[in-house]
Amino acid sequence: MNKMTRRIAVLLFASLAAGTPALAETPDSPAARENRWRDLEKSVFDGLTATPDSKIVALEAPIRAEDASLVPMTITLGGDRIKELYLIIDDNPAPVAAHFIFGPAGDPHVVKLRVRVNSYTNVHAVAVLQDGRLVEDAKFVKASGGCSAPMGESDEEATKGMGEMRLKFPGAAIPGAPTEATLMVKHPNFNGMQMNQVTRMYTPARFIDRITVKDGGALVFDLEASLSLATNPVLSFNFDPQPAGPVTVEVHDTDGGYWRQDFVHPSATN
Amino acid sequence: MALLLITSVVTCAAAEVAEPQELWDGPMHGETPSTLAGAQVVDAPAIAALRQGALLLDVAETPKKPGNMAPDSLWRPIHMSIPGAVWLVGAGLGSSSPAFQSKFDERLAGLTGGDKQKPIVVFCHPKCWGSWNAAKRLVMLGYARVYWFREGVEGWQEKFEAAPVEPDATWADAEK
Repeated sequence: MNKMTRRIAVLLFASLAAGTPALAETPDSPAARENRWRDLEKSVFDGLTATPDSKIVALEAPIRAEDASLVPMTITLGGDRIKELYLIIDDNPAPVAAHFIFGPAGDPHVVKLRVRVNSYTNVHAVAVLQDGRLVEDAKFVKASGGCSAPMGESDEEATKGMGEMRLKFPGAAIPGAPTEATLMVKHPNFNGMQMNQVTRMYTPARFIDRITVKDGGALVFDLEASLSLATNPVLSFNFDPQPAGPVTVEVHDTDGGYWRQDFVHPSATN
Repeated sequence: MALLLITSVVTCAAAEVAEPQELWDGPMHGETPSTLAGAQVVDAPAIAALRQGALLLDVAETPKKPGNMAPDSLWRPIHMSIPGAVWLVGAGLGSSSPAFQSKFDERLAGLTGGDKQKPIVVFCHPKCWGSWNAAKRLVMLGYARVYWFREGVEGWQEKFEAAPVEPDATWADAEK
């Protein structure tokens, strides 16, 4: 009997035995979390298994998050062999928070982003290598309520300036010398779980589902995002500056919102 | 552009929230009173001691998959609760509808075997009026030993292990 049939059988039994409550019986444990991960891993990676190797992927996350709606994640990557990166928050309702596909102008070394965490959970960073091999690192994060945390401002206020963006370069972008950049996008990233404190209605979900960054037309990365990205996402990444630039950022959201902006390399402005 | 760096801040009212006389029909997320007339407010260690023989009632809401999410995208909501708890999704509504009232009444009679002396611990999350309402409703129904766990499952998790729980099927089936 596979898992699904077993689950259906359990549910059927539960509904037949009317009045018998489904109790939360077995306390959560590292082993139970590991089992949930194995299940999740199968559905995300079509049955493939990831193995740890901290030289290729290392995840840094707070043990206890001060603000569950703004949990910083830093993923350090082993470079060129990396084709894709997944950030998976195991126990969030939509576990796959981010999926990066790196392009020829990408330099997969450090990726930083901020996410919402719904309950105490394992977080996995999984790198897909050029040869298809999967490498992972995981951290247990104590944070909860990040998904339903209401915004401190009205929905209207939070939506103001949606799609405005800024790209910061710490130094000059010289071709052949990979450098870092930080992208900031103004967007409420409503996840459908936040209640408007005035109307008492759930604010309908509207979130960024794709960010594409190119430099001089060459792909840096393509990011498929889900509703776990924090409000006003801030994203740091590395790229290999192309001779001409500019860096083009395209942002899409679930409601058909589309914003595009070109950023000139700092080297060209100096 | 400094706007971009403004993060969402949950503001908390500093003033003590007065206990409503009736069920609370306001926003479900927010500062709650520190008391509930007719019920006892408990903390996590007290529940750990009470657990055997008590009915643990989780009344938290469950997230819904947004309609504008890609249909094939993974959706696996997992709900953590106190081990041994029964999860009545959304049983903390302040609704005055007779249908809701009788559904609540019936399910609780089923869970307690009609024993109004049965200790019942009610909780959801911190700053969640749902558990206050459900506990209030129990007091109004004449349950004599109602315990309100204000800190919710997060408060439990601070000190003890939580457990994944499925929604109570009988309660969900009664949804009309």
